[in-house]
Amino acid sequence: MSDQTGKQLSKEEKDARFEAELLPVLDPLYNFAYRLTLDEDDANDLVQETYLKAYRFFDYFEQGTNAKAWLFRILKNSFINEFRKKSKQPAKVDYSEVEGYYNTDDVEGESGVASTTDMRTESVQDLIGDEVASALNTLPVDFRTVIILCDLEGFTYEEMAKILDIPIGTVRSRLHRARNSLKEKLEKYAKSMGYNS
Amino acid sequence: MESKFTEAYPKAPDEVKQADCEKVSGMLDLIIDGEASSEEKLYFNHHIEECVSCFENHQKQKLLKGLVAGHLKRVIVPKSLVQSIKAKIQETL
Repeated sequence: MSDQTGKQLSKEEKDARFEAELLPVLDPLYNFAYRLTLDEDDANDLVQETYLKAYRFFDYFEQGTNAKAWLFRILKNSFINEFRKKSKQPAKVDYSEVEGYYNTDDVEGESGVASTTDMRTESVQDLIGDEVASALNTLPVDFRTVIILCDLEGFTYEEMAKILDIPIGTVRSRLHRARNSLKEKLEKYAKSMGYNS
Repeated sequence: MESKFTEAYPKAPDEVKQADCEKVSGMLDLIIDGEASSEEKLYFNHHIEECVSCFENHQKQKLLKGLVAGHLKRVIVPKSLVQSIKAKIQETL
């Protein structure tokens, strides 16, 4: 058993542990950053900043605890506190602001996507993926976040509550609203493709 | 006779069913996210065996989750990112 109370690790030990425990989360973390910022450069910056903070506070990280949730939390806080301000994108993000948002009819003309769709599986798979992505991207960031954390990254409600710093009840209700919005967007698309749900 | 009947069943069966459906639809997310307790699961499964519309809602909700989980493309991490992270850490020490 390693002695966890004697905090002072040598730099080599610290670096080795940092690499072993935190770097494996890079892929999901980058994907999360990308889904939040919708921009590769921004995602890059955000991830770098996150790891830098994680390194600085690595002594507070307890070995064997949930590294992934810890990093996601740092990233999400960085995004909210600093990133959103300097980001090019206007932050129309508070989901309380968007209650009535979806009732306004979208202005995207339904421009004959339907007729020539090739139903061979691969292209259909791609098409579905693209459509899910673009529907997701139009959701407010708070909605997008819970869907990504839950459905893509498989976090539990309890982990999500910790990452987002909100009660579990709020996780549940936000997820519920987020899914309803996403469903609405995708149903609209399905209809434009000639499916009736 | 009829009044006795309504005493024994203060709610009409339709209303009861309605209440069940509401309860079940409130559980949908818990169920598909694997967060439901075993009693909730039992209650839920029992209900959807008898109720077509709740059964269908369950299918739809699962499908929706599957669309995100299975179809959303992952972005590829730029090769240089690990190096930049390490470099940045070293330079700020």
